[in-house]
Amino acid sequence: MDGNRRYAKKLSVDSTEGHNKGFDKLSEVLKWCLDLGIPEVTVYAFSIENFKRNQEEVDALMELASDKFKRLLDEIDQINEWGVRVQVAGRLSLLPVELQALVSKSMLATRQNNKLQLNIAYSYTGRDEISRAASYIIDGVKNEELKADDIDEQLISQTLDLREPELLVRTSGEVRLSDFMLWQISKTVLYFTDVLWPEFTIWNLLAAIIHFQRHAPAVLQENENTPAQQDFMEKFESRKWQKLEKIVGC
Amino acid sequence: MKKKLKHLVVLVDTNVHSMSDLALLVIWSLIVGIPFVSFHDITGQLKKNEEDLFMEIERRKKGVPGCIKWSNKPDLNGYTNGTQAHTVYINIFSESDGRLKIAQCIKLIAKEHLQSNRCSEEYTAQEFSETLMHLYPSIPDPELVLYTGPLCSTFGLLPWHIRLSEFIQLSVNHNININSYLGALYKYNKCDQRFGK
Repeated sequence: MDGNRRYAKKLSVDSTEGHNKGFDKLSEVLKWCLDLGIPEVTVYAFSIENFKRNQEEVDALMELASDKFKRLLDEIDQINEWGVRVQVAGRLSLLPVELQALVSKSMLATRQNNKLQLNIAYSYTGRDEISRAASYIIDGVKNEELKADDIDEQLISQTLDLREPELLVRTSGEVRLSDFMLWQISKTVLYFTDVLWPEFTIWNLLAAIIHFQRHAPAVLQENENTPAQQDFMEKFESRKWQKLEKIVGC
Repeated sequence: MKKKLKHLVVLVDTNVHSMSDLALLVIWSLIVGIPFVSFHDITGQLKKNEEDLFMEIERRKKGVPGCIKWSNKPDLNGYTNGTQAHTVYINIFSESDGRLKIAQCIKLIAKEHLQSNRCSEEYTAQEFSETLMHLYPSIPDPELVLYTGPLCSTFGLLPWHIRLSEFIQLSVNHNININSYLGALYKYNKCDQRFGK
């Protein structure tokens, strides 16, 4: 979701206004994806690097996120009716405590939904995600839940926050990943477009999808987990949810 | 060039690119002064035919000042005629240098065969990076990745290294020539990096 500030500058309005417009665009795009039958959408909303921006803008973005998660929780019945499962990917411990609780609550409240999965990368970088996954796996071996020889690419893929996408769209003319989903995009079609995120239309989305359908490489079948890997994954999953429950609790 | 370019990667499809295409890219980079040029071998055929590439580059280099060094070969050739000449280091990477290597690194740490520093519950990217770098040759992260054809994908290229790399298409019609090469460098020069700010 790139280009909110450039959009604000173009219209001579405040950057916060640009971020608001960017958020409105997100709900619009989600609706299109739901209508088109795309079951999982991931957005890059805030990078760990973005903490380097001036305090005022960072605070405004944290507040925007808090507001939106509060609204999501207020309208939880509607969200559940649509069947939207919300996942936040990133190092949550870097966020304000209040926002951590809101995020965890939202994830827990929508956990059972299965029509559309919305992943929001927040306080995220791809390198950080891989580093956290490495920690969980190494701890798994230390705690004898896993043998070192059970470690393979597939296990790492499953311990990351985000799954592999088929198509990645980057707006506003940038032609780099900016530390997004570095592990997951090894077979992904990358689609770069000049349009600014707040000005993204359904035609831009359809153009990206048509590009994908023309050029996507063949998909390879994944192997099944070994029993040892499966065992570890179940423990890993339940620990993950317990951690969120703990954040909500305190 | 306004922006430094230390490491250029070319995504190589041996069904499309000839050895002479690749050799020319190396020679042009030698002249422009890009110190690291790497080829990412999508089909797995380039690593097998590395010797052919080596010969082709040697053939094309005749008369061009500067040195070409292969990461896995002893140094040879290169003359400077008394002027300041450039050096290019060449590497060939493939999918197995990417995710597989990160998996190996995690396995080695788990087996305690590789030392790592972890100050809190979870590794920071910085901490994990320091350990992971023991498995890679010491080369800078690529600033520019060139591809040809309509499909842009990383094909598993070095996931840890490409977070800030610019992906730029090298001419639309599979035909590598000096103009398409310079055009891509020109485009790279115009890309503006904000580093999160």
